[in-house]
Amino acid sequence: MATFGVGLSAMNFLADLAAVADGFSFSHVTLSMASVFSLLVASTLGSEGFLTPEVVLTLIPTAPLLAAAIIALLGKPLLKERSHLVTVAAFLVSFVMSLILMFQDLPAAATQHGPDVVESAVDHEHQKSYGPAVIAPIFEWVNIGSVNVRVDLRADAMTAMMLVMVTGVSLLVALFASGYMHGDPGYPRFFAAVSLFVFSMTMLVLAPSFLMLFVFWEAVGLCSYLLIGFWFKKPSAAAAAKKAFVVNRIGDFGFILGVFLIWVNFGSLNFADVLGRPDKLEALATQSPELVTGICLLLFLGAMGKSAQFPLHVWLPDAMEGPTPVSALIHAATMVTAGVYMVARCTPLFVLAPQAQVVVASVGAITALVAALTALTQHDLKRVMAYSTVSQLGYMFMALGAGAAGKDHATFAVTAAMFHLFTHAYFKALLFLASGSVMHAMGDVIDMRRFSGLKHALPITHWTFLAGAGALAGLPLLAGFWSKDDILAALQTAAEHSPYPGVFKVIFAVAAVTALLTAFYTFRAYFLTFHGPEKFPEEAGHHPHEVTPVMGWPLRILAVCALGIGILVGPLTHWFPSTLGQTPGLSHHEAHGLHFGLMAVSAVIAIAGVGAAFVVYIKGRASIDGLPSKFGPLHKLSLNKFYFDEIFTGAIVLPLRGLAKVAFALDQLLVDPLVDLFGAIPRWISSIPRVLHNGLVSSYAIVMFTGLLVIVLFALQVLAG
Amino acid sequence: MSADYERFLVVGAALFALGAIGFLSRRNLILMVLSAEMMLHGIGLSLVTFSKLHHSLEGQAFTVFVLTVAACEAGLALSLILLLYQSKKSLDVNVWTEIREPDLPPPVDSSSPVAEEDLQEFPKLTPAGLQPDVSRFGNQAGRELVSASQKGGQS
Amino acid sequence: MDNSLIQILMPLALGAGAVLWLLPSAKHKPRFIAGILGATSFYFLSSLTHQSGSLERDLMFDVFAAVALVAGAMMVTDKSPAYAALWFALVTLAVCGLFFLQSAPFLAAASVIVYAGAIIVTFLFVLMLASQGGQGSAAYDQRPTHGVFATISAFALLGIVVGSVHTWNPDTNATATTKSVVKRDVAAPKPLSQVAQDQEVAGSLHQLGRSLFGDYLYAVELAGTLLLVASIGAIAIAPRRSQGTL
Repeated sequence: MATFGVGLSAMNFLADLAAVADGFSFSHVTLSMASVFSLLVASTLGSEGFLTPEVVLTLIPTAPLLAAAIIALLGKPLLKERSHLVTVAAFLVSFVMSLILMFQDLPAAATQHGPDVVESAVDHEHQKSYGPAVIAPIFEWVNIGSVNVRVDLRADAMTAMMLVMVTGVSLLVALFASGYMHGDPGYPRFFAAVSLFVFSMTMLVLAPSFLMLFVFWEAVGLCSYLLIGFWFKKPSAAAAAKKAFVVNRIGDFGFILGVFLIWVNFGSLNFADVLGRPDKLEALATQSPELVTGICLLLFLGAMGKSAQFPLHVWLPDAMEGPTPVSALIHAATMVTAGVYMVARCTPLFVLAPQAQVVVASVGAITALVAALTALTQHDLKRVMAYSTVSQLGYMFMALGAGAAGKDHATFAVTAAMFHLFTHAYFKALLFLASGSVMHAMGDVIDMRRFSGLKHALPITHWTFLAGAGALAGLPLLAGFWSKDDILAALQTAAEHSPYPGVFKVIFAVAAVTALLTAFYTFRAYFLTFHGPEKFPEEAGHHPHEVTPVMGWPLRILAVCALGIGILVGPLTHWFPSTLGQTPGLSHHEAHGLHFGLMAVSAVIAIAGVGAAFVVYIKGRASIDGLPSKFGPLHKLSLNKFYFDEIFTGAIVLPLRGLAKVAFALDQLLVDPLVDLFGAIPRWISSIPRVLHNGLVSSYAIVMFTGLLVIVLFALQVLAG
Repeated sequence: MSADYERFLVVGAALFALGAIGFLSRRNLILMVLSAEMMLHGIGLSLVTFSKLHHSLEGQAFTVFVLTVAACEAGLALSLILLLYQSKKSLDVNVWTEIREPDLPPPVDSSSPVAEEDLQEFPKLTPAGLQPDVSRFGNQAGRELVSASQKGGQS
Repeated sequence: MDNSLIQILMPLALGAGAVLWLLPSAKHKPRFIAGILGATSFYFLSSLTHQSGSLERDLMFDVFAAVALVAGAMMVTDKSPAYAALWFALVTLAVCGLFFLQSAPFLAAASVIVYAGAIIVTFLFVLMLASQGGQGSAAYDQRPTHGVFATISAFALLGIVVGSVHTWNPDTNATATTKSVVKRDVAAPKPLSQVAQDQEVAGSLHQLGRSLFGDYLYAVELAGTLLLVASIGAIAIAPRRSQGTL
């Protein structure tokens, strides 16, 4: 079996080489994909032992890393417009490996370890883990005294689920980007950065300790900087990249403080030693609950920075300066979800600190509402999607905070958050890619006021965008519907069982209102773009062209996911909750039935929102220009993003600049003259004997003779005794 | 007859000192080398005296070598002086000031050139017959000769 | 001790005064004053040092030494370079006479031949070549640089040397071994260079030849090579007329 697979893939690969020589086309991409795929599948089916779980696990981050290295070295001189082939091949390998991990290796590990996860926690032995997981040890990094840091890869259920999502979306986005970025002079650099990003993201979810998590936390931030500032010659793009990095840094400050506290109190940073020791956690919680709350809040500060929660959300809308595939990958599906992943991973910590959880939920609620309100009035299609992302991330944190309902309900809440993360990745990536195709067709114009009525000109984009919009709005039976429903259920449970019922009731109301607003602004964007009179801007040229197949197929695949994946992994098969329940730290969950009441409520909300948008933007199309004046100050507030950027500038940036000016003046007036003085002293001293160096031979002779005289006198003195 | 080595040694030292004075205070390259030769004279005298003092001929042999080296040194020094003169057209040692501190100004020559007329005193002769016609020579020397003889003749 | 110090310092001070007077300067100074100072200095110095018994020897020494010192002083202070070269010739002759007094006839002859015959002639030739053709003294010959300082320091050195020689007193310590500064074994004796004490004809050519070509054979050969190299070097360095005006 394996030999057959090898032979098949070899033939495909040879054909692929010929294709590379000829030039790129979509069929060649499929050929390369097929060759790699068949090779891998054949090897596993042949069970020749080549793809052991460790190898599978190691290949997942290694393939993108190799791709990044290859493109970085050979991209500019050799590969140029073919750099995407390396990336796509690498991502395909990672995706297949993730699938193998998910469906073959992890269940095998589960049968080995058994479902009862708690007792198998052992410290300082990297081979054993807490709970069923596949572990691939790589190397020992630091071993000094009591500090023992290893670089390992650890994949449990949550990690595997994240990996499948990350690699799958990355693959589709890379395919889309190969068409979107065609002709850009920085083509190889783009794919190198994207490969590096996927490497960092996969390593982040594969991290077995807080330290490794933090290292790759920073790495994804770096890759985000590189990609947002991809067109670095544009000042706004460079500024946006800097802003993203700096705001992330503020969150990282909190994160690292939390990590320090963990180190001080637990003596180790491995997840197995911290999160896999419920006895120690309980002891710490009873001993000093404020400490646990503090740790959780500090860690959440890091998540706020990375996942753009209020007030650190200001970087995400500006990050739209980067290319659209970047927005789709990083700022919809992967990087911003790192914060959610981290908080979900630390569930054993968070369940011991209900105050922290309620803070998490409140911040999520505020974020969701503020972002939704801001998205109502934005003209830029991508900005609408960006604020929508912020809002949906708020939803996820609301769900995570709903774990305050108690240990028994925490699993359901966290599962709801992760489910929403999962579905959101697909439909948000789809929406961004569709916006990208609109932008591509409209000649890089994305202001909705300048085009309309595109549904006949761009049919594929139209129906895929509609699918994604429906999922986002939470229309019944689509992906977003199920996950939002779960979140609302979790919030309701929290309102009943948590120590803060009033707060959670408010949060529940906010979540419902935000759902309405979400539906409204999503379909506002849809109607403004695709309906109404056909109008194209001048940059579009004669005739806006629909997407090429290499850009169209990812859209189609994502659209199918947006439509069906929610129902598939959720209520129909219960695959998602049962798989995630195997994650250590999430105790066995009880099967939740379908909450028909809530489902009805959320369906009504979604349809109402769509209907309102329909009324305003289709029926009342003519009078939409009069809307801003009708809502006056509210509209202005929303359009200007609630003036957050201005507040930050005035409160933080300007005082810092003033301080910098003061320091600069001090340096110039005080330090520089002092240093110059020290430099001038040898010069003064040397200017005294310097007059002897006048170049005159007779002067030199006189000095020599005088010296001789002195020496003779001295010698006589010595001799005379 | 008693020994009188000390006197010779004093003379040798005095010659050396005079040579040193000449070397240090003169500006003419040739005279500086000449003063160095005088120093060697003083040395030689001291060596010969010591040789007699110790009843050995080592000092005299040494002086022979000193003489040899002095001859070589004089020859080479004069070649070098000619080379230097060709470069700057002057035998002044103080014109060579390139190797000095770059920030210092070049040394100023405080001595003023002497007017030509004060230097040479031509004897006052009574003219004897017709002045010779040297204008046909047409060179500088000829013209100077004419002007000098005219000056001498007019006094 | 003090007495001898004054005895040394005074004639040297007079001598320094003489040379200082002779140094070329702007105003015209009568030279005979320097002569008086120098004569006084010479008299005191000669009275300081031990005289040998025989009158001829003393007289000859006085004459030769006076001529040498006077000619030396004139040489270093004359404005014209050509005159200075001629004074140097006179110094050479005087030194030659002193060589004779010290039983070194070959050296006397050799120094006259080499110095007065070759070196001074070469100097005069070069002087003529390089002197701009008959314009007389140049500006740089008129004033000494650091004249006073040079004189005083040179006479200080002279004072030190004379003082140390006087203290050592070779006229009475002649037979004793030299008080050498460096305490080391006397070098391997040079048998061919030693002459017996009682031999008066100590500097004969025969013995000098034996010393040179016996004890110092290598040095003699090297000196010959040095002369060859120096003459080739002088020819190589000296500029030709074709290279530019001379």
